Amino acid sequence: MDIGAILWLGLSVLVLAALLILRGRKGPHPEVRPLAAFQNLGAEAGYAAESGGTIHIALGNGGLYGEDAVTSLAGLQVVNSLADAAVSYGAPPIITVGDPTLLSLAQDVLRRAYERNGVGELYDSGRVRFVAPSPVAYAAGAAHIVTAENVTTNVMAGAFGSEASLIADAASRRDVPQSAAVVDLKAVGALYPATSRLAVGEELYAAGAQMTGERRYLVGLVAQDILRVILALTIVGAAVLGFVNGW
Amino acid sequence: MSSLVKKWIPTLIATITGLVVLFGYLFPNRLLTLYRGHVTELRDVLVEWAVIVAAFAFLLGMVNILRVHVRRLFQRGSGRVYSLVLLFAMVVALVLTLIPPLLPANAVTQNLPDLDQAMFDYLISPLGASLAALVVFTLVLAALRLLRARRRLGAVIFLVIVVVILLGSTPLAGLEWLAGVREWIINVPGMAGMRGLLLGVVLGTVITALRVLMGSERPYSES
Repeated sequence: MDIGAILWLGLSVLVLAALLILRGRKGPHPEVRPLAAFQNLGAEAGYAAESGGTIHIALGNGGLYGEDAVTSLAGLQVVNSLADAAVSYGAPPIITVGDPTLLSLAQDVLRRAYERNGVGELYDSGRVRFVAPSPVAYAAGAAHIVTAENVTTNVMAGAFGSEASLIADAASRRDVPQSAAVVDLKAVGALYPATSRLAVGEELYAAGAQMTGERRYLVGLVAQDILRVILALTIVGAAVLGFVNGW
Repeated sequence: MSSLVKKWIPTLIATITGLVVLFGYLFPNRLLTLYRGHVTELRDVLVEWAVIVAAFAFLLGMVNILRVHVRRLFQRGSGRVYSLVLLFAMVVALVLTLIPPLLPANAVTQNLPDLDQAMFDYLISPLGASLAALVVFTLVLAALRLLRARRRLGAVIFLVIVVVILLGSTPLAGLEWLAGVREWIINVPGMAGMRGLLLGVVLGTVITALRVLMGSERPYSES
């Protein structure tokens, strides 16, 4: 077993232990810093219903395999959290995906939101759309949906690159409010000028905690914070050691 | 019974599969199985199955596109002309890909151009490139909107850096000194920010992946 595997294993055990301890602990509800990207999305679902429009949720080009898999799952947390409110208001969202492996899962998440609201018979699988497998074609297709389908709020959460600016531009032209949560630096650069409600990097993985406030998400964030402190201390310690040895 | 089928069995399958693949990466050559007459890593077998399922997902994606656009066409919704073009392109692409291999092998069919490849080379690639070129204009427009909408220190710094990076990349005479500034911005504050961002993303990825492995996060079944 190489050193990388040992590190991975150690890290995994650490996180697992932290999660297990925190999960079972009864105590005060962990507080989280509110992120603008995930605030008021429920209210915007209400606004969409009042104005006869809909919310567009773009999940980007990530699928369920490869390096973007976890990012796509984090994007699905946004769908899961927002779909209930949108369906209960009678304004189900339009969800676009750029990888067909994510299509069935996104459809299932939306279908379950209909069933939870007792209107399973109204579920329309056409609300979840596979647009195109290439990033730029996906962005162009999603931008057309923002323009043509009476979208009142545009939400982008998942694996995007700089092509995300095509979707953001379509929303800006129609003065549609938009939120985004992305991890790629190119997407961050492209979306920073387009919206002030931008969650960057690890903030995407806080979507579930931010939007639902459920303890299972919150303890994950606490574990993430603990790990961050350990990592920061390790980096600082290594730098100090390197400095001392080189002195 | 319903809870068992809808919740616990998918969770069990996902957890065991995830752990087996993770274990296979951490400890190579420990979990071996006989697959198609060869001794193979169990994780490779599972990954191969995932690739096959992903290929079927593409078929589902195609059906989804057909369904959405045929419906739009029949409901006379907005943008139905685009839907018509898309469906036409889809049929043409399908025919051009499926028909040539079915033709009898003779001198005429052997000299036919590779239409499938030609479609990629002369249609899809140029169209993709021209769309990608549009990204530059949308970014500039977004920067101008930023200047109008958010006159804050952060926005000003963002725009100044964009201008310096752009001008530092040009070969204009008299601006050579900007190339050094550009290099410094990219290699020092840019790289530091990128590394910080990546560390955060890795932590978020590890936590989310572990939550899926533990069954705490179940995107595939009811919570």
